[in-house]
Amino acid sequence: MTTLVSPPVVPAASTAQRDAEFAREALPWLDDVYRFALSLTRDDADADDVVQETYLRAYRSWHTFIPGTDCRRWLFTICRNVFLRSRERQRPTVDLEDGEQDALAAGSVYAAARENGYDDIYARLDIGPALREAIDELAEPFRSAVTLVDVEDLSYEAAAEIMDVPIGTVRSRLFRGRRLLQEKLASLAAEYGLTPAAAGSAK
Amino acid sequence: MSAPKQDQLESLGLSASCADVVRHLWDYLDDQLTPDGAARLKAHMASCAKCRGYSDYQSCFLEAVAKLRAQFDAPDSLRSKLAEGLKSEGCSCWDEVTKAKANTNG
Repeated sequence: MTTLVSPPVVPAASTAQRDAEFAREALPWLDDVYRFALSLTRDDADADDVVQETYLRAYRSWHTFIPGTDCRRWLFTICRNVFLRSRERQRPTVDLEDGEQDALAAGSVYAAARENGYDDIYARLDIGPALREAIDELAEPFRSAVTLVDVEDLSYEAAAEIMDVPIGTVRSRLFRGRRLLQEKLASLAAEYGLTPAAAGSAK
Repeated sequence: MSAPKQDQLESLGLSASCADVVRHLWDYLDDQLTPDGAARLKAHMASCAKCRGYSDYQSCFLEAVAKLRAQFDAPDSLRSKLAEGLKSEGCSCWDEVTKAKANTNG
């Protein structure tokens, strides 16, 4: 966190303006950055540290933020870099050819669910807690792909920039993540004997 | 990767004409298909109840995941710590960190 160059001397008025801009543009995304940090670290205390460092770094380098661009995307990129540096991790090397096998496997999960009468679990039940747990258990880089695109509603393009991979890689990671989640939730449904009768469906 | 094998499709109870839906539904729901491709899938689903059922199922799944976004926020302890950090950096708007929270709650 040492800076190589001393910060330029800026007049007080423009400092206040910069601070106000920072507060207006960057601070509203704190919850989003926290969720992303939590999905990366899977640990409350580590997530706190990553968010703290992300925002302090964002504040120090606020002059590099281009007004009018997507500030959340900029913060997520910093967040991921902070995380990678904190773990001294290499870039994930898991890469998949394409998402077709995962899409097909998800179709199989659905077919089995329909046969057993729990193909409407996503519509019928509050699966939020189970889903959140299943996402936490996903391995990287699938967890980041699902978190960025499906939870945080970022575009493939934004997720690609944040994860520093091509868009096609976002797609394949996302599809693998979705497939693994659906397999996990289907096996939970089977484990708990969740059928229309057991769940009180009038179908 | 080649097209799904015929026996794989049959085990899903699908005809070959449903293959595109199984392979590309996520692309369709994510708005990643070309207009032509999207129109083709849409037209097929309009006439295929099985594929509509699958599309509903995947849409519900994605909605359930998207709902998680509203379910947990940064803890207050983190907000206080960040406010202190920004204050020590000389940021004059440090107290906005906790105010922003108050606003979203109110």
